[in-house]
Amino acid sequence: MARVIKQRPMNWVERLYIFEAIRGLWTTLKHAARGLFRYETLPTISYPEGQPEVLSGYRAKHRLMLRPDGTPRCVACGMCAAACPAHCIYIEATASDDPRIEKKVKRFDIDHLTCVFCGLCVEACPVDALRMDTKEIIFEHRTREEFVANLKTLTSWDPKDYPEDEQSQKAPGGTKNAQARAVWGMEVK
Amino acid sequence: MPSRVFRKTIVLEFSGNNMSNYYNMPKLPTENSPKVEIFVDDKPVMVPGDTNLLEALKAVGIETPHVCYHPYLPVSGNCRQCLVEQEGPRGRMLVIACYTPVAPGMKIYTPASSARVKNARKATQEFMLVNHPLDCPICDKAGECTLQENYMEAGQCESRMRPEYGKNYHGNPAHQFIDAKGQLRGGKHVDLGPRVLLDEERCVQCDRCVRFMRSIAGSEQLQLAGRADHTYITTFPGEKLDHEYDLCVTDVCPVGAMTAKYFRFQKRVWLLSHTPTISMDDSLGANIWLDYADGHIYRVMPRCNPEVNRSWLSNTSRLAFQNFDKNRLPAVELDALKAALKDGGKVALVAGGSCTIEDLAALRMLKETLGDSAELFGGTFKKVGAPDGIAMSGDPLANRAGFKLLGIPDNNLDNLVDRLRSDLVKGAPEFKVLVTVNADIFGEAGDVAAALEKIPTRIALSAFDDATAKKATLAFGIRHWSEVQGTMVNSMNILQKLNACPVCPDEKLRPAYEVLSDLAGCKFESAFDAFKKAGEYASVLAGLSYDTIKSTGKLLEGGNA
Repeated sequence: MARVIKQRPMNWVERLYIFEAIRGLWTTLKHAARGLFRYETLPTISYPEGQPEVLSGYRAKHRLMLRPDGTPRCVACGMCAAACPAHCIYIEATASDDPRIEKKVKRFDIDHLTCVFCGLCVEACPVDALRMDTKEIIFEHRTREEFVANLKTLTSWDPKDYPEDEQSQKAPGGTKNAQARAVWGMEVK
Repeated sequence: MPSRVFRKTIVLEFSGNNMSNYYNMPKLPTENSPKVEIFVDDKPVMVPGDTNLLEALKAVGIETPHVCYHPYLPVSGNCRQCLVEQEGPRGRMLVIACYTPVAPGMKIYTPASSARVKNARKATQEFMLVNHPLDCPICDKAGECTLQENYMEAGQCESRMRPEYGKNYHGNPAHQFIDAKGQLRGGKHVDLGPRVLLDEERCVQCDRCVRFMRSIAGSEQLQLAGRADHTYITTFPGEKLDHEYDLCVTDVCPVGAMTAKYFRFQKRVWLLSHTPTISMDDSLGANIWLDYADGHIYRVMPRCNPEVNRSWLSNTSRLAFQNFDKNRLPAVELDALKAALKDGGKVALVAGGSCTIEDLAALRMLKETLGDSAELFGGTFKKVGAPDGIAMSGDPLANRAGFKLLGIPDNNLDNLVDRLRSDLVKGAPEFKVLVTVNADIFGEAGDVAAALEKIPTRIALSAFDDATAKKATLAFGIRHWSEVQGTMVNSMNILQKLNACPVCPDEKLRPAYEVLSDLAGCKFESAFDAFKKAGEYASVLAGLSYDTIKSTGKLLEGGNA
């Protein structure tokens, strides 16, 4: 039901307008002074000098996990590509050199211009090969081709950047690599 | 005539009584099967009476999960997956549907009404999966696997596997190894032969491949060795699986145990699209699926046609696709072709085996336009072999019956060569222009090619840059038979449809019928225009349309093939 709200008529000070204008200007000046002298208290980040904090669950750029011998864990099953709603993953498979492993990935492309960062590929992966925990959220490249992450860029991460993650430490260069390689039972070719 | 002896083996095997015969070949229902009334879940239904229960239930729309049963292989009945309950003198008993003949008035209970059947199938499924590896993500069969289908229909059990024990696969001890997780595994890629790999772990011992090699291929190269859960598939010591039909074992394999080397890890099967068409390298015209993705054919699968090739396909037809996109001729402007044809003199029009009915109709129209200054030739220099009784008639001229139907000579290439040779003695050749359509006569001819070269203007309409195209003064690229719509008549006088698979490497390439009709001055805008023209030449084709030809073809009555 419609209801008429009666507004209080402005008194003469308000009708003068100049005092209200000064009050608004004061707010502006206050913030300008804060930006000049107490910059760190502002809630905004002065990107790109300042970088936002990325929380651990954030779905950032992908990476491919590595086995103790340095080969990607990916078995090229195509589950991520099947789950991908944006069809941005392209995989080619080939037979593995390791007699104990059937299939390995030959080509793994993720087009980050098409990717919607939904994380369904990570959930679909049956061998925990694909993760989105790199905390890399900035994609800046000169050409469109460079936005397509390939097998090389996806596997070139450093275990030192993931100190708490046990699985990452099993990769070459990690603290648990020697231990994992003993279990793996085969020296790197 | 090849077609007459083609079904000899089958006729012998079907000579048994109601259910089976010496080879236990299942008797499949036909349109003429007598209808009998049986009771399924206490409801009366009319089913074909001369077949097994599994096929009878299928005929009324009740699918029964099965692993070892295959309609074109002898019944083995070892998987026990197709259990149903039958009312008998001793009460309701579990029987396997694949080896139970239909009897009038029999009472059958399916999982729809019987919890016992449901539980029995579920238990069978669970047993089958106990030591089956969790390979689905890397298995080439995933997506078209019988076990996966059965699991969704009859299984879906909670896993009762104890993780501390894991899978416990036995099998061939020679191929066992310890994997990266410290678990004992079976032979993952056993090299069975030049074209087939075996994964012993995935094998469910249904023995379909053994039965195929024994009963269909007629060369018993595979065997089950060992007993109980130690059973594994193997070849005889020192021998390999090597047969013209050995890739069919990868089709009949219900799981991913038998994999074809050429398709291994190439593409996940759910990414493939399928085009139903006809293999135009043999006059039986084996029905095939062309499985393609992103503009390439990845594999060729047999398409079941009970009258023609059943579920089988020869390696020759299956692997031919690997050359379909190689060594192709580029598209040429039609004006160049018109100019070459106008050189004057008599024209020899030579049609080759993979010409469709549409191409032949266009060729005959071109001949009629040119009148007496042209003459039609057809046939092949290749040797015509004998039918093998499976999926090859041995005749390389695929559309021979179509040639006869449209009144195009199918065996007068020798006549052309003889006349050219006699002209050679006289001096000037009678023919000034040679037009070959899908006919690699220089490649096939061998020593007689020299005579053909006496014709000054040689035009080759061909998909490939073959010997004829290399010898030609003008090589004109056209579409391959896998890329055109059309029809062919096979050696059993069945009119079959070809469909265009969208894998043509160049959109400017045109089908032969379009080029030929354009030359004749009456361009066919579609394949069906050409088919209508063929109906004017052969009355049995008149009144037909592509929609009225079934996917399994149409038997032409009164043909002279």
